[in-house]
Amino acid sequence: MACSTNALWAGETTWFCCGAAWGPCGSAGGGACGNCRSSAYHGAWPNASQACWDITRPDLCGEGGIARRGCGSVMNVRHQCSGATVCISIADCGPRTKSFCGEALCCGGTCRTNRVLDLTPAAFSAIGSLSSGMLPVVITE
Amino acid sequence: MSGTADAGKQPGHSSRFGRRGFLTSAAVGGATIVGASALGALDADAAFAAPSRSLDPAVTQTTFVEGRIGAIRGSMLHVAGSLGETHRIQVTNATSLWKVRTTTLDAVEVGDGLYARGVEMPDGSIAADAVWVNIVNLYTTIQGIQKDRLHLAHHNRELVAHTVPETAASYAGSALTPDLSRLRIGQPAQVLGAWRPADDSIDVVRVTVGH
Repeated sequence: MACSTNALWAGETTWFCCGAAWGPCGSAGGGACGNCRSSAYHGAWPNASQACWDITRPDLCGEGGIARRGCGSVMNVRHQCSGATVCISIADCGPRTKSFCGEALCCGGTCRTNRVLDLTPAAFSAIGSLSSGMLPVVITE
Repeated sequence: MSGTADAGKQPGHSSRFGRRGFLTSAAVGGATIVGASALGALDADAAFAAPSRSLDPAVTQTTFVEGRIGAIRGSMLHVAGSLGETHRIQVTNATSLWKVRTTTLDAVEVGDGLYARGVEMPDGSIAADAVWVNIVNLYTTIQGIQKDRLHLAHHNRELVAHTVPETAASYAGSALTPDLSRLRIGQPAQVLGAWRPADDSIDVVRVTVGH
């Protein structure tokens, strides 16, 4: 299944590690879907399941309309500022939106608020620098 | 706000393609390169900061490598991937290297972990555009606060996080500040830093907490 251009959401993305890994990431495991790998173009979605939603609670930050998209769902993620894109599949639940309500990243006069997506290092580094930690993105499917 | 400097990058088509071509020629011709900065800022964002085609997720647009460094021979990093594969990563003068801060190959050691992206060469090596050494970005809970370190819980493990000159905090979306006095025990915290393989602790570059 290929990525497409139908609007899904916009916000901030962070990055996380999963699967076989070095350092503190060694304890991360394969994520909620069991197949998450840092070296793959994978992502974590805050509404991957009801149990996932109960943990992430983006609605507490005003992001209540995020659609359910389960393991294997495909999304296109575009860096709002540079336009760089990466096509990912959902392999985990996250990020913990509720713990960081109100964050915003702005560029070109447009701000994106709240972390609504987590990307693996492979996916995040395809559109930005890992050392930035967070990027404003537009998500389509 | 965390990451605003990065977020402000503007597209640079000519520098992007010039850089990728430059990386390729640099790797083929050897790692001694003069005048690399003439292509513009040698930061990790510049290289891929332009629209690219959207493909099936199984199709890789750039080459990405993760693993631990088993040997350093000249400017070539020999890496053992976490899934058992091996990689050779060519570092050139055009490669953006990060280890706690932007750095040079001298700071990289055998045993370090890394993530790298770049261009695959005909011989199978990777001409690196960017290499992030020991970088971690962890969702944690603050369990203790000392002058020179934080004690964190990560996946039910205790993790010691040392402060460094670059350490900064962001509170509830505010701008980064070196003031860590508003951190509180029990707070969830996103910590970006660098792993120390010698003792399994980390150096903290940025700690982000919510309300």
